[in-house]
Amino acid sequence: MDIQWMLAVAILLPLIAGILVFLIRHYQTRGLIVILTAVALIVNSIYFLKLGLPTEFTPTNEVWGTIITVLDYAILLFYIYAGLSLKNWLVLIFALTQIIPLAWWEFSAGASKALETITPAFMIDQLSVVMVLIISIIGSLICIYAIRYMKDHEDHKELARSRQSRFLFWLVMFLGAMNGLVLANNLLWLYFFWEVTTLCCFQLIAHDLTKEAINNGARALWMNSIGGTAMIAAMIYIYFNSGQTVEYLTLQSIVESGGTVAFLLLPVALMCFTGMIKAAQMPFQNWLLGAMVAPTPVSALLHSSTMVKAGVYLVLRLAPAFNPVLGVTVAICGAFTFFAASVLAIAQTTGKRVLAYSTIANLGLIVACAGIGTDLAMAAAILLIIFHAISKGLLFMCAGTIEHQIWSREIEDMEGLAEKAPLTTFITIIGMLSMFLPPFGMLLGKWVALEASYAVPLAAVLFVLASAVTMVFWAKWLGRLLQVTPRLGRKIESLSLSYSVPLWSLVAGIFAFGIGVAPVFKNFVQSAVSCVATGNVTSVVALDGMVKGWNLVLPKAAAATEVIGSYPVWPLFIVFAVAIVLPLLFISLKPQELRPVYMCGEQAGDVDTDEWYCAADVKTKLQLGGYYYKDAIGEEAINPWVYVIAIALLVIMFGVVGVSI
Amino acid sequence: MSNQVWIAIIAVIAAPLIGGFLAGIDRRVTARLQGRYGPPILQPFYDFFKLLGKSRIATSKTQFVWIISYLVFMIACLLFLVLQQDLLLLVFLLGFAGISFVLAGFSTKSPYSHFGANRELLQILSYEPILLLFALGVYTQIESFMISDIMASQTPLLASLWPIFIALLVVLTIKMRKSPFDIATSHHGHQELVKGIMTEISGPYYAMVLLTEWYELVLLLGLIALFWANPLWIGILIALAAFILELFIDNINARMTGGWMVKFSWVIALVFCVLNIAYWWIINKGVL
Repeated sequence: MDIQWMLAVAILLPLIAGILVFLIRHYQTRGLIVILTAVALIVNSIYFLKLGLPTEFTPTNEVWGTIITVLDYAILLFYIYAGLSLKNWLVLIFALTQIIPLAWWEFSAGASKALETITPAFMIDQLSVVMVLIISIIGSLICIYAIRYMKDHEDHKELARSRQSRFLFWLVMFLGAMNGLVLANNLLWLYFFWEVTTLCCFQLIAHDLTKEAINNGARALWMNSIGGTAMIAAMIYIYFNSGQTVEYLTLQSIVESGGTVAFLLLPVALMCFTGMIKAAQMPFQNWLLGAMVAPTPVSALLHSSTMVKAGVYLVLRLAPAFNPVLGVTVAICGAFTFFAASVLAIAQTTGKRVLAYSTIANLGLIVACAGIGTDLAMAAAILLIIFHAISKGLLFMCAGTIEHQIWSREIEDMEGLAEKAPLTTFITIIGMLSMFLPPFGMLLGKWVALEASYAVPLAAVLFVLASAVTMVFWAKWLGRLLQVTPRLGRKIESLSLSYSVPLWSLVAGIFAFGIGVAPVFKNFVQSAVSCVATGNVTSVVALDGMVKGWNLVLPKAAAATEVIGSYPVWPLFIVFAVAIVLPLLFISLKPQELRPVYMCGEQAGDVDTDEWYCAADVKTKLQLGGYYYKDAIGEEAINPWVYVIAIALLVIMFGVVGVSI
Repeated sequence: MSNQVWIAIIAVIAAPLIGGFLAGIDRRVTARLQGRYGPPILQPFYDFFKLLGKSRIATSKTQFVWIISYLVFMIACLLFLVLQQDLLLLVFLLGFAGISFVLAGFSTKSPYSHFGANRELLQILSYEPILLLFALGVYTQIESFMISDIMASQTPLLASLWPIFIALLVVLTIKMRKSPFDIATSHHGHQELVKGIMTEISGPYYAMVLLTEWYELVLLLGLIALFWANPLWIGILIALAAFILELFIDNINARMTGGWMVKFSWVIALVFCVLNIAYWWIINKGVL
């Protein structure tokens, strides 16, 4: 297929499909369009693999540049309108800080003619393709999931007028904007797609139009507008410091400078800061936490394949242009977020908030890897992006399915879910285990990250602490799901196809990618690392020796036969199968082997009751609860510290950049 | 290759024998320290076979999965050690074993079991970072995470990593569930009847948990022996000395609270590890 058609399908098809689903008010037809778009996007993304990479493309017709400029202003004017109508001054201020410099730069400073000559507009390399695959496949599955979810959502809310069309419009269009973002090379185009994702995000978070939803949407908008402002500042700074030329206004030229062009350091730091805001790094974590009010497909999309992944993508992309001190400070910022978010996750009582903090934590880990900047750390970052997208996409869809079964998001309400909805629970448990335990991919990523982290020991220590804390919050939540009284004769629930197809696809993905991590590494990660390899940091590990059959090893750079670490994938999956899968399949307890639990003799009734004789021999239902340690590590207790440290780290980051200039 | 298979088979068979024997010594020494006569050395094995022979009873339909997983992952850890694999990955696998045991506790609706599971989690929170830092500390010395490289190195790790060694003794106390860190099991003097997660585990499954604990003991002593890998017999003697030391620590301390345990290990033991690693990082980089 021709490259321009592939780009058109990846970027414009979602927009067209979005408009169609917006216009068509018929549930089945709308669903069919979403499914067809999803299939087209997935097939198209696979075609990208056949391209000779890296390759570039600039549309011959200049009208596209004009359209993008017009839409830039349209979006910014909409932000101003939103700021005024919501009376949210932060939204207004940060819209103005974007539109005024941009207009001044393009028109008053007379740059508009020069800006039209930036080429190439698109740059397609292995890293972009990995991102396109994640966005197109996982994002599409989430859109399919949303078809049924939004119907149930509105049925439960008993809305007078359906707003599903509007929702699906923004959801499907989001995928196009994300594809554009990871393929764009021209910074102005990158900025445009960046703003479209911010806009989609705002619309989707505010979708339910409750006061909370609108407030949280506005918060996401102004926080990400700070990022937009920083990006504009970076572009203008580059333009004037390169003698009013457009030489460095492409990602490619910035990256190829490899941190040697002194005036690029500040703009790189600014854009890195933009990426960190979008990746919800502390102290900007609040917009992503607020995004929880939106219907669950939005969270699934924001957390797994879009939005936050745009943030880490940009940081990773720019990593070669870091100088060593900037790299170290970025690594420490990310590692701190990883640690602090993991600690805060322990104290959360709402399932989706735990997931949100876990996302923030893992993004922190990815940002930290980008900051460390060795080949090995980059490989870890890309592995984590891939596996996090699969597992988190699955977990959010599980959370949504659970919500539609018990109509609650609270972890305490999920008590004994293994009994009420065994199938959903089973899938959720797979998802959770895949987030933090061997043999799954996330843990592999963490393992690679830790082995690479010795270059920045402070980051390494924070990684270690965060890994331990991660185990605690997942285990606590798992425990609530698993806790059951063995009532006899429970039934497996049935799930609608729109739920079960995406869920099982991602479960299959977890196992397929987990077991096949060596080929994945060889075909995707390794070549993607070569796009973001820093060059200015020497690596101890030679990446091309890492794949050994189905397993991964870390060979010493000097002698390829000697290894400094090894991750035997197959044996670990066999251990997992023997430990969990085989017992589940082949051992089952007979009803007569079940007994009531030990209650010091105060148990009332038999195995299938959970009552006991309380004070004055009153029969009381046994109630158990989880620990959350809110007083010690709740948000109120430690957030002030977290903000102080996170802001201090950012100040240090810009401080070292200022000093090195 | 076949050599490795034999090593694996021997380790899987020998480890529980050694572990059970050590458990017998533990009970005997503890009894003497408390002025009792104590059971025969082989008593843990008698208990084990008695439990195996009992009929299967459970309070939950899924608990046994996690108990089997606890055992299987612990054996996997031991194999990683004897086959001289990646130390960091070994620690992560040990993490899965620990989490399995916690989930076994959570998967039944029993208050005692839940107390135990929650406290067990605090124990994981306390020892997991130390074990990971141990792996990083080893890296500062031999620039590798492979246990095979530790075995090959001629200078004992103890000389350069003694602060981490001390921290690891704290881990051993927590892992053996000894005072002052026997928070999760509360089995001081092995006399208390309601014993955390074990409350709802009986018969053959209880035997499996005992078996896992024996594997775990051997694994941890093996990790300690790595501090003097050449010649290995010195390392083994150090590990046995550490074991005996634990018995005394157990009997001269009172049980502390979970919060105290987390603070102790994060503030004191972790700082030992961090300073140790920082020192070697600076030396290796040649900053000073």
